[in-house]
Amino acid sequence: MKALKRVGSVAFAVMLCIALLVGCSSNSSTGTGSNTAGSAAKNEKNDSGSKERVTLKVEVFDRGNSPEGMTVTNNLMTKYVQENFGDPNNIDVEFVAVPRSEEINNLNVLMAAGTAPDIIFTYNEGAVYSWAQQGGLMDLGPAIEEHGPQLKEYLADSLQYGIFDGMQYAVVARRVNLQKYSSLIRKDWLDALSLPIPTTTEETYEALKAFKQNNMGGERTIPFGFALAPDSYEPVIWSFIKEQSDEARYLRSVTIGSREYPILMDGHKDALQFLNKLYNEGLLDPDFALDKDKKKKDEHFVNGYTGLYSFDSGQAFGNGESSAVMTLESNVSGAEVAPVLPWTDFEGKNRQPAYNPSGMYIMVPSFSKRTAEAIKYLNWMAQDEVIQYMAFGEEGVHHNLVDGYPVRNSSEEDQKLLYNTGDMLIITNGIDFGSAENNNEYMALSVVEKHRELAIQSRSFADKDAVQQPISFDKPLDSEAKYSVVMLEKYEELLVKSIMSKPEEFDKVYEVTLKDFMDTAGTEVFEERKVAYEAMQQ
Amino acid sequence: MERRGKFTMFDVINTLFILGCVILCLAPFLHIMSVSLSSNAPIMSGRVTIYPIDLNFDAYTRVLSDMSMIRSLLFTILLTLAFTASAMVMTTMVAYTLSTEKLKGRKLFMLLIVFTMFFSGGLIPEYLLIKSLNLLDSLLVLILPGLISPFYMIIMITFFRSTIPESLNEAAEIDGCSDFGKLFRIVLPLSLPVLATLSLFYAVGRWNGFRDALFYITDQNLYPLQLKLYQMVMNNMISEVTLAEGANAAAVQYLPESLKAASIMFATIPILIVYPWLQRYFVSGLTLGSVKG
Amino acid sequence: MIRKSYVIKHWQLYAMLILPLAYFIVFKYFPIYGVTIAFKDFNVFKGITASEWVGLDVFRDIFSQKSFYVALRNTFMLNGLDLLFGFPAPIILAICLNELRLKAFKKLSQTLLYLPHFISWVIIGGIVYQVFATNYGIVNLLLEKIGLGPFPFLSDKLYWLATYTSVGIWQSVGWGSIIYLAAITGINKELYEAAEVDGASRLRKIWHITLPGIRTTIIVLLILKIGDMVDIGFDRPYIIGNVMVREYSDVLSTYIYRIGLQSGQFSIATAVGLFQAVVGLVFILSANYISKKTTDEGII
Repeated sequence: MKALKRVGSVAFAVMLCIALLVGCSSNSSTGTGSNTAGSAAKNEKNDSGSKERVTLKVEVFDRGNSPEGMTVTNNLMTKYVQENFGDPNNIDVEFVAVPRSEEINNLNVLMAAGTAPDIIFTYNEGAVYSWAQQGGLMDLGPAIEEHGPQLKEYLADSLQYGIFDGMQYAVVARRVNLQKYSSLIRKDWLDALSLPIPTTTEETYEALKAFKQNNMGGERTIPFGFALAPDSYEPVIWSFIKEQSDEARYLRSVTIGSREYPILMDGHKDALQFLNKLYNEGLLDPDFALDKDKKKKDEHFVNGYTGLYSFDSGQAFGNGESSAVMTLESNVSGAEVAPVLPWTDFEGKNRQPAYNPSGMYIMVPSFSKRTAEAIKYLNWMAQDEVIQYMAFGEEGVHHNLVDGYPVRNSSEEDQKLLYNTGDMLIITNGIDFGSAENNNEYMALSVVEKHRELAIQSRSFADKDAVQQPISFDKPLDSEAKYSVVMLEKYEELLVKSIMSKPEEFDKVYEVTLKDFMDTAGTEVFEERKVAYEAMQQ
Repeated sequence: MERRGKFTMFDVINTLFILGCVILCLAPFLHIMSVSLSSNAPIMSGRVTIYPIDLNFDAYTRVLSDMSMIRSLLFTILLTLAFTASAMVMTTMVAYTLSTEKLKGRKLFMLLIVFTMFFSGGLIPEYLLIKSLNLLDSLLVLILPGLISPFYMIIMITFFRSTIPESLNEAAEIDGCSDFGKLFRIVLPLSLPVLATLSLFYAVGRWNGFRDALFYITDQNLYPLQLKLYQMVMNNMISEVTLAEGANAAAVQYLPESLKAASIMFATIPILIVYPWLQRYFVSGLTLGSVKG
Repeated sequence: MIRKSYVIKHWQLYAMLILPLAYFIVFKYFPIYGVTIAFKDFNVFKGITASEWVGLDVFRDIFSQKSFYVALRNTFMLNGLDLLFGFPAPIILAICLNELRLKAFKKLSQTLLYLPHFISWVIIGGIVYQVFATNYGIVNLLLEKIGLGPFPFLSDKLYWLATYTSVGIWQSVGWGSIIYLAAITGINKELYEAAEVDGASRLRKIWHITLPGIRTTIIVLLILKIGDMVDIGFDRPYIIGNVMVREYSDVLSTYIYRIGLQSGQFSIATAVGLFQAVVGLVFILSANYISKKTTDEGII
């Protein structure tokens, strides 16, 4: 009972505190402030002339990976920004942490409360569109003209991706590396079977069959590592597409997220029929439909069950010593991989998708009074020496020069300054060294030495006959924004059900699931695309 | 009080049944622990099951040498204690009052409270409220909004009603015992099991909860442990996003799986200790003593 | 006058209500105007009050979608399975735990049984997909050894229902049993002693003393559970679900996620939430009413 008394007295004290707090705070709670800042901010012009010190609030992702003693809002890099941009311009740069995985919810709440940072950014095109539509974004055109000469020059082409309805609602970051997917094949298996590295779809198919027949990876051989993920199905599907005109791409494919799906194009059905054949002949992982996060696909590869393995460019060699290829080699003695372009299209080319040269969307909310400062900040960031520092720090301290390229040295200093460089240096996605070859060479320096050649070859393969996607309209489409998740789910159903059907039922299943896709969202989307396309032609 | 009888067939089956359940419940935990103690290659190959491969303690060394984790742990312990104490006081007050059958207006109060179990204003109005109360980025925002769970309140009322015999209540009233007196001298001492249970529920709820902090807290000194954990575990799991991020994501340091697992263990083990400690309040026979006494 | 005198006599009771009521008013009733979002074309930048009213448009939109009804049906179905199997499970477990003779084992097992409650669904999902895989999943490997299977636990709709339900039971049963254990401690020991004198068997004692002793708790929790029939968490169906079983795994929470939360369409989410609230309230009040009539137990 003594314990109970003790708890009781603590509780009583707590109760008193609460009473006091509730008592005084409920007075101030009467006005539930709703925000009508949208219009108020419009008449505000740049106040750069004034000597008053102002605060510029900038979003930064929080991924919970800050080194000890630092936070994403207060670290060596934020100090650098303050000292080199803030102080000379009489601006306090304040960083606002937004949890990476909840960014949209979080930003929406901050917008509703009128407390969103002056610079916000996201990769979520749907969110950008919905904010623009609700009148919540500032047209940055004039400010860029006035304060952003360097920014404009630096971003060049990518800036056009931020124009909706003729307004520059977003500054769109550059994307340097446009390669999307790469494939590797088990060279040691091919050698054992005395097969060459395949160069056509036909040869690839033969190799896969041979892998299966000879159980090259043991009882669990999976000739073609396949998951329910774009890096598995996109390369195959695009190689079957027979149409290439812009018109076809506008009228017979849809955009879901950052990808173009050529659903109604000639060849799409053939692609699925081909995958159906592979599935029924046991050349794919029978559980591929359950492998949403590609975990199984990667596991099978590093354990040596997989013959042909396609992946997001750069992934298989990334991570230095613990890369997927290194793990494979340590798990399976004698394992050897070779880069491969497995699929050829009707012209014998290796048509494959690539990224557009655009990265994240950077915006200023309409209620912000710091448009000029925001653009000045981005403009400052676009200087060579700033990019250099924000990406690599100082030579000898944070990076070393290897073959003329700055390579981060993984020292404690490096980790402290650059642990979230990708989230701080927001105007670019990847660092440009002037040419694709240079960029490739630079990328290879992060790969373990014995794989560098392979990595370079693999990445340059990803550039061959690559087509940038998605093709974009002059403004985003309502229906596509509305149905993006629905369409993806229905499309996955179409894929899974038709690939897994019995060969003789393929036609029927394909038809039924395609109809389902069209009925739930497709028809509406294609109609809107048609209207928008016709409007564009005029 | 247990009769020292034979170990019957019933006991054998029952013990084996529970043992089976225990093994099933323990296995995933062993898995996470094994991941936290293994090296990267076997984890990537999916070979780590319920025992570590390439045993090493690197991940724990990293977690335990990270002062911000330790600070977050201490903060979360404090927060959980403060929250649980306040929530129990508030819940007890309302549950005791509403467990009084004769209370005028009882049904109305109950209805008003049950109503809030279903209808809520949603994220934005709640955020605006917190903002206008000036509670953003304060410790109180992690305490006040969750003080009374109607669900737990109803459970407490049920226990108050079913464990305290009406005769005792009446006797107390005849003795001139005030309502406060009755609460402290009769109801609370007789309700230790439910008080322990609900304290556990509140404490675990607070310990595991991070959604409120996600929105209301930006000051990293006030980050509860689970929010830190969520950032570590979840933020790199959204494959769709990381794919589009490309080089930017690659330019961000990734955390190895073993470190994530070690952090999960670090954040889970302290709260696990609470239950065995609270079990001592699961004592029966009190009813007997007080009625006789 | 009688009324007044009651209040005065029991002023202490009412005094204790002040803070809790203030709490509910400030934190629950102040923000409740947010439900109007369901009837508005909500513009984040204009705010709730300034957004335009659209009447029942949002509801019309939702009720005209076939997928809404599928999600609603599945929500009832999955919650129904949980009610049927998931609800009795912790009661049975609590009784079994209570009957354990080995004291140390009893204490230890209670602590270990509630471990799964502390593991997040993302991690559980990963483990479930590993363990229940059709090919080379440990469960199917074991079943094969005794000459059964393999069973498509994750990819066939009916098997998936079983997987979903049993994973749910596994995750929550230990945690759920705590409350019943607490209730069992409240049972008067004299009753057991008397039964023992009469030579009652263990099962008879469970049936005639333990179960009636926790009857009130069971009924109250059942009523609360029925109130939650139309409400379903997001993580479990979303993470355990997959494209092969979407016909069954798509529920109201995932429906909301799909049609809008990603891009911030708050109106739809709010409208579905309002629908769930109304149904939930009706359910809980009806359950309470029926229970009051038949068993004289209830929550209000």
